Amino acid sequence: MAAVVVLFAAATAGAGSLPYVEFSDEHLYFGRIVWLGTCENCHGYGVADAPIPMKPNEWRHRVSKQREILYDHAINGFFGPDDSYMPERGGNTALSDAEVKAAVDYMVELAKFYIDETGEEK
Amino acid sequence: MKLLSKSLVTLGVMATLGGLSVAVAADVGSTPSITPKAMADALHLVMDSDRAVYTKKIVNRLVKKEKVIKASEHFEDDKALVLPAQMFRFGSELAAKRAADMPDVNFNYSLQSMWPVNKQNAPKTEAEKAGLKFVAENKGENYYAEETLGGKKYFTAIYADTAVAPVCVSCHNDHKDSPKRDFKLGDVMGGVVIRIPL
Ligand code: HEC
Repeated sequence: MAAVVVLFAAATAGAGSLPYVEFSDEHLYFGRIVWLGTCENCHGYGVADAPIPMKPNEWRHRVSKQREILYDHAINGFFGPDDSYMPERGGNTALSDAEVKAAVDYMVELAKFYIDETGEEK
Repeated sequence: MKLLSKSLVTLGVMATLGGLSVAVAADVGSTPSITPKAMADALHLVMDSDRAVYTKKIVNRLVKKEKVIKASEHFEDDKALVLPAQMFRFGSELAAKRAADMPDVNFNYSLQSMWPVNKQNAPKTEAEKAGLKFVAENKGENYYAEETLGGKKYFTAIYADTAVAPVCVSCHNDHKDSPKRDFKLGDVMGGVVIRIPL
């Protein structure tokens, strides 16, 4: 289990006191920065039906997907069963594959953190 | 002007206390009443759901997934689908036209922005200006105010309108008349303004 450094971390991106946990792992720290810069704008709020990592029900079935599939969906875009649309690289074409993958890793870790926090029931 | 800002402040306080108790005008002598806030929220829920369905089931599916047609601002020339924002605007124009013949239907709605491609869609009243700023700065929250316009009192609700697809961002960032060109996906681009007379 990844060590949690700051629980209700905020300052880094000036995002206010939001529950975007910071993990001690360097790769995840980098992923968090990418995530806050591009992905949070939708995934933090459910814009366009983007699944929110703080909501276990929206992520329980995704964290168990193969990581390669999640990478592929984040890099190349993905349509959900309901025709909701995850755009290629979150619409930020300047991001490298490595940056998008790090953001995916961070989001998965964040989702797992909340799934653990709330246990099996919701 | 002074009066208006005062009522805005009062209303802000009332709203945070959890809603208003003013009933919508005593129309058709109906007994059950609904607060203007509940009515505005319900109207917005319908508009927003229809809009989401159009965006997902028509635009995303046919343009992005099946790639059988384009969506374009110049949909007639391009023989393309209307953009989701245009779909919304056409609906509001038609509703305004039809409501003119219905004395019991007293409300209007519009899509506005602090950064409008078409200047006509810039906020005009104090509540519109304050509300569009508020929803842009407080993502996920709505804005409610009472305002007096031409001696009449109105309840005005403003809901954020967000860039949900790359086409929203590219169209606004690339448009020659757009005053803002650094939108990102997920940014608040403007707001839906619903106004109900009290
Ligand atoms: C337009 C807003 C938007 C932005 C910005 C965005 N996403 Fe998404 N994302 C979505 C939506 C919508 C879905 C859900 C698709 C579905 O499953 O219905 C999604 C789903 C995902 C998934 C799950 C895919 C799966 O197979 O279940 C991953 C992973 C993901 N996004 C990563 C990212 C990353 C990384 C970024 C930033 C680089 C990002 N997203 C930015 C809208 C967005």
